[in-house]
Amino acid sequence: MNTGTELWLFAVSLGASALGGMLGMASGIFIVPVLTMFGHVDIRSAIGASIVSVIACSCSSAAPFLKGRLTNVRLAIVLETATTAGALSGVLLAGTIPASYLFFIFGMILLLSAQQMLAKRRDPALAPTQPLTGRSTTRRLDSSYPDRALGRDIAYRVERLPMGMMLMYGAGLISALLGIGSGVLKVPAMDTTLRLPIKVSSATSNFMISVTAAASAGAYLVRGYIVAPIAGSVALGSVVGAILGARVLMSISNDRIRLLFVVVLVALAAQMFLAAFGADFFRGTA
Amino acid sequence: MSSRTVKPVRIESLLAGVLNVGTWLASVVIVAGLVLSLFKRTPFPTGAQVITAGIGLFILLPILRVILMRTIFVKERDYKFAAAAAVVLLIIFAGFAIGILSK
Repeated sequence: MNTGTELWLFAVSLGASALGGMLGMASGIFIVPVLTMFGHVDIRSAIGASIVSVIACSCSSAAPFLKGRLTNVRLAIVLETATTAGALSGVLLAGTIPASYLFFIFGMILLLSAQQMLAKRRDPALAPTQPLTGRSTTRRLDSSYPDRALGRDIAYRVERLPMGMMLMYGAGLISALLGIGSGVLKVPAMDTTLRLPIKVSSATSNFMISVTAAASAGAYLVRGYIVAPIAGSVALGSVVGAILGARVLMSISNDRIRLLFVVVLVALAAQMFLAAFGADFFRGTA
Repeated sequence: MSSRTVKPVRIESLLAGVLNVGTWLASVVIVAGLVLSLFKRTPFPTGAQVITAGIGLFILLPILRVILMRTIFVKERDYKFAAAAAVVLLIIFAGFAIGILSK
């Protein structure tokens, strides 16, 4: 691996993670397509590099959410039993699934992300919050978070936990298989199933991503999927990108970027489908 | 605000601190490795080895976070959550084991 390639990979991963960071997504969703298409990295090494960058992103961006008391750490550790179990299944499957299937699943996830980005997220501050009628003593998962817009604490309950756990298992599996954070699956699962306020869902999902990714990253490191120069550049790019992305996000208006992202996601999805149906078109995917 | 919400803040700021310091440490090690790999003939630790160490630190960081959470939950006699943390740790180690076995 020469220096030029490393600089190129570093620049590419910086760009990809800044993109992800701007919309509060883990960078993985951009890194795998970009590495396989523009870097001609084979998909397993791309997934290995991506899973490390996902850990880096999650760890480097967790602090503000924790300090702002948006992250529900108790709920996170309970759901992590399901996400890591899913990741373990993903690791077992990863060795047996052909590359073309991986490209196809990835394409589907990209489309799902695009669709989610188009759908308007409801404003958490305006969402009706049901008053707490009884204390949940069996599960101490219910909590509250400070809402800046309203200037007070908003209490919330955790509902339908078993269903949530099942969806988390699926999210963990996809995360390990594709090397993504799968926040794109976790956040809606938490929104719709557990009925959490959106800010709590995002913060808690982001917090859980690193642990979920660690369950598969260990195996991939030992298996040799994690190629040091690639994964190192990508991880570093992710940290810088996550920091830059958060800054940029605050200074640019949302709607136009959102549309741009949808276009990028759909284009990447199309490329992944092409790769799925003609995998030999790309180098190193056999 | 009830008094119950006061306690978690301490856990959360502790976790935030650990994650921040860990991210910096791992990043610095990776930078050092990338810089080392610019020089063609380096003695023992080669650039790639140093980068791998940095990547290892990144993978260890969430594991450390779960261990820390387990310790705190045990201290607070929150045994159900401590058990959940133990399960998560076991699953992560199982992941490493599968990696070694399926190598």
